[in-house]
Amino acid sequence: MEEKIARLKQAAAEKIRQHADTLSALNDVRVEFLGKKGEFTTLLRGLKELAQEERPRIGQIVNEARGQIEALLEKKKEELRVRDMEEKLANEKLDVTLPGRHQWQGHLHPLTLTLDRIKAIFMDMGFTVEEGPEIERDYFNFEALNLPKDHPARDMQDSFYITEEILMRTQTSPVQARTMQAHEPNTPIRMIAPGRVYRRDDYDATHSPMFTQVEGLVIDKGVRFSDLKGTLELFLHRIFNDNIGVRFRPSFFPFTEPSAEVDISCVMCHGKGCRVCKGTGWLEILGAGMVHPHVLEMSGYDPKQVSGFAFGLGVERIAMLSYGIDDLRLFYDNDLRFLRQFE
Amino acid sequence: MQVSIQWLKDYIDFDETPEQLADLLTMAGVPVENVVRADEGLDKVVTGKLVEVVPHPDSDHLQVCTVDVGEKEPLTIVTGAPNVKQGQVVPVALVGAHLPNGQKISKGKLRGVASMGMLCSADELKMELANLPEEQKTGIYILPDDTPVGQPAAKALGLDDCVLEFELTANRGDCFSVFGIVREIAVLTGKTPHWPEIGAKEDDEARADDMVIIAIDAPDLCSRFSARVLKNVKIGPSPEWMQKRLEGAGIRAINNVVDVTNFVMVELGQPMHAYDYDEVKGHSLTARRAAEGENVHTLDDSSRLAKGGELVIADAEKPAGLAGVMGGLETEITEKTTTVVLEAASFNGPSIRRTSRALGLHSEASGRFERGVDVTGTVRALDRAAQLLAEMGACTVTKGFVDVYPVQKEAATVSFTAAEVNGRLGTELSGAKMKEILESLGFVVEEKGQEAYRATVPSWRGDVSCMEDISEEVARIYGFDNISSTTPRGAVMEARQSARQAFSDKIRRVLASLGMDEARSFAFTHPSLFDKLNVPEDSELRCAIPIMNPLTDEYPLVRTTLLTNLMENAVRNFSRKNEDVRLFEIAPVFLPKALPVTEQPDEVLKLAGILTGRRAPVGWGQDGAMIDFYDAKGVVEQLFASLAISRYTVEPGEHFALHPGKTVVFKKGKDVLAVVGEVHPAVQEAFGVTKKLYVFEMDVATLLASAAKNFTSQQLPKYPGVSRDLALIVSSETNAADVERVIKKNAGPYFKDVTLFDLYTGAQVGEGKKSLAFALRFQSGEKTLTDEEVDAAVKKIVEAAGKEFGAELRM
Repeated sequence: MEEKIARLKQAAAEKIRQHADTLSALNDVRVEFLGKKGEFTTLLRGLKELAQEERPRIGQIVNEARGQIEALLEKKKEELRVRDMEEKLANEKLDVTLPGRHQWQGHLHPLTLTLDRIKAIFMDMGFTVEEGPEIERDYFNFEALNLPKDHPARDMQDSFYITEEILMRTQTSPVQARTMQAHEPNTPIRMIAPGRVYRRDDYDATHSPMFTQVEGLVIDKGVRFSDLKGTLELFLHRIFNDNIGVRFRPSFFPFTEPSAEVDISCVMCHGKGCRVCKGTGWLEILGAGMVHPHVLEMSGYDPKQVSGFAFGLGVERIAMLSYGIDDLRLFYDNDLRFLRQFE
Repeated sequence: MQVSIQWLKDYIDFDETPEQLADLLTMAGVPVENVVRADEGLDKVVTGKLVEVVPHPDSDHLQVCTVDVGEKEPLTIVTGAPNVKQGQVVPVALVGAHLPNGQKISKGKLRGVASMGMLCSADELKMELANLPEEQKTGIYILPDDTPVGQPAAKALGLDDCVLEFELTANRGDCFSVFGIVREIAVLTGKTPHWPEIGAKEDDEARADDMVIIAIDAPDLCSRFSARVLKNVKIGPSPEWMQKRLEGAGIRAINNVVDVTNFVMVELGQPMHAYDYDEVKGHSLTARRAAEGENVHTLDDSSRLAKGGELVIADAEKPAGLAGVMGGLETEITEKTTTVVLEAASFNGPSIRRTSRALGLHSEASGRFERGVDVTGTVRALDRAAQLLAEMGACTVTKGFVDVYPVQKEAATVSFTAAEVNGRLGTELSGAKMKEILESLGFVVEEKGQEAYRATVPSWRGDVSCMEDISEEVARIYGFDNISSTTPRGAVMEARQSARQAFSDKIRRVLASLGMDEARSFAFTHPSLFDKLNVPEDSELRCAIPIMNPLTDEYPLVRTTLLTNLMENAVRNFSRKNEDVRLFEIAPVFLPKALPVTEQPDEVLKLAGILTGRRAPVGWGQDGAMIDFYDAKGVVEQLFASLAISRYTVEPGEHFALHPGKTVVFKKGKDVLAVVGEVHPAVQEAFGVTKKLYVFEMDVATLLASAAKNFTSQQLPKYPGVSRDLALIVSSETNAADVERVIKKNAGPYFKDVTLFDLYTGAQVGEGKKSLAFALRFQSGEKTLTDEEVDAAVKKIVEAAGKEFGAELRM
């Protein structure tokens, strides 16, 4: 009996190893040995013919053998499952180098991207973002900024006039006066005013009859020229990079005193001198100064009590330097090959 | 303003190179735009002696020269110029020279003979041909025989000077003179100027005030009018040194009298004018306003009709010149002139500016008057001019001068304390240091107490009038670079932008996420664009604001709609083979309250978009389908969802630029949120476009007002929802939105939402009919719904739709 069990076990193991190379063949083996009519079932049924005292021992041997065959079957089944999966996967291979399927991806205008960066930097420093009309009164655009009629500095800003008294604003500076006049006199202000401005300039690689400016104004008790320097250096380092050189040159604007032109070291040649900086190593980037007492007075602020600084920067210029754009006209041409470069 | 280094060095010695000097001045607020070297490109051009000149063995026009350039070995140079002879000294460009005309000199071989350089002509050296004698204008430039050999040619050619070109700011009228620049150089270098001694020797017995009458009839426009009279004038060229200085200043030499007036103007900053005394009627000159229509016959031989009010200098009969702008033709200095009246006056800047702008006449004189001329300097300028002409032996000087100066200008004073200046600058300078700086600039500074001062402003600095101006003078000389960098003190302030700005930013981001690219266009337009866009004759959009002085005829108006810009942008992209255009723009349009404009217009912030082309980018897995009306509408719907704009209605709409059957209006109450549609074929044709375009337009303020302000999230349902699909057959004329409205109205308390998921027309539903398939969802917050409850709701919907539209259930 024991011998028979061993033989059967042997035969089952042999069949599992040798012939069961599909799941159904494996199942056939299971049925042959462990099924209702299988060899082991028959064996078990034959147990009752054994002597009473032999039954438990032989029964145990039969069950053990049966367990071992089941384990073998299970192991083989797993092997076959893995093999089948591998075969299946091998047949499902894609050309993964084919490009993926795309949807249209829109792009914000490079000037919007630049404006967003500028706004974020100043808002981090506690500045509000103000707005004003683009068709403006001569009073706000010029006179309230200490630029009376027939002032030679008006030549710097050739204007599009609508009437003698109304014009397309030539700068975002009128928002300074408007913001001050909207405030309780002498209360502190920290604002920037981004927006479109208009000048009667020919349309070429560096000029445009419409362009974008950001005006800035800080007013409080005891605001100093050194604060202007520190604030603008901080801004320029953040918008370009920390290694950029910044220099302040004395200049003249009717609405500030002292006034400064602010230069950065050339982003193309790093100050060595190139075509972009005309060999000087420096690029003019913005104008600034301490608010002229007349400007404060005209908008109801008392220059004896408060002081402030103001600045104005050209967004196109910053975008051109940041993105290496060499023709200003690209901003208003709206060629998709250009616009779709800015992620 | 430009001036040569030589002229500056006439009055001050400095060691700085022109570039260093330019930098010093620039950093002190006297900006030098360019340093122009006359010897630009002449680095490797030297003087050379032609030791031998023999004909080229292989050519009948070339010559082979042996040239001594001061080196051990002479050079062999082949030239084609016929005017070279043995023994001459000429400019020689050595190998490696890069001439001002762009030519680079390298070793060459001319018909078998090696040539080690080039003999140069005046033109090749960029010399001013007009100033040269005829024989030097062509051929090799010949230097004097005794010119030392092997020296830089620039020196021998007189091209070793250098010109500083200034871009002066409008406040610094004082720097429009050599004296002014020299004053700044003295402060910046610490060197002492050696000013010329100015004084006229009056060697004629006649008295100026017997000979000429000077008057001011417009004291507000002319604050001072001074004159001298010169007799026995011999007109001729001015001396070479003077011509050279004028050339450096960019002024053409004319004759000795005119040159001297120009010289003095540049030297001292005081514009002058010279009249032919014998042509001045009545020997009287009056500064007065021109009458309207009065004729001024100016130097350039044009008759200019006065508008009235311009300042003129008139003789007894008529205007003899536009004051400070241009002289008159009749009284011009000519070769026949023997007696001269010299004028030095002070004219009102704004008035000169108006006249010169109105006439488009900008002169050296008008530029100086506009920026302000030192009123105290008229007599000194007369003296200087008389002195220079007398020294040339070109005249005798009559006794005295006439000086009409009704209101003596008093020197301005400014009081300040060191604390005020330091407080403005963020510096810690001592009062003594400030005093020192100001005194170096010509201020007279009195101490008025502890670190308190009163500064008397020098007459040439009309731009300084308050403490703030003083702080600028201190800062620019102390050096902006030496002021530290700080950040503003004071309270922390709230950073914010307006709701409208934040909303606009959000619209931009959402549209970009929906595949739309942002455009930015000019705010200008043209009437013909309204025609192209099919804008009705009586539409307010045609009432665009005209610009008084447009740049070109192309854009005379300010825009009233963004659609014209978007159409133009699309067309421009098509011409560049960008076929899939999806653009939007957010910008104001300008709607006048009335025309002609009397007040500022309404600036209405608009959002508009244009779409055409494929539904998805070209790719192997895309079907290449073109977008249609519903893609454009979908963009708007998704935008609204992102902006929390809901509960709007849609209905067929009308728009002049859109296809009448393919236009939809989004509304909330009476407010129009958006118009979306296919561009009218006529508009398409007018813009020269063959493909279908879809546009949308909306008003940002209306969107903002319609957007939900507060957002609270919904709890997730505890009980499962039930879905039912419902296909209704209706007449093809029936609008889907109306069916949907009826569904919502009749769907009962458990209705959640409805989505139209299929539209079918065809044989299965019959002619003139369409099937609309809706997916309905029902849900309760309190219980699991039963089939009966849902069936009842659907039944009610079907009944209502049947009643309203004759809708039948599609089985």
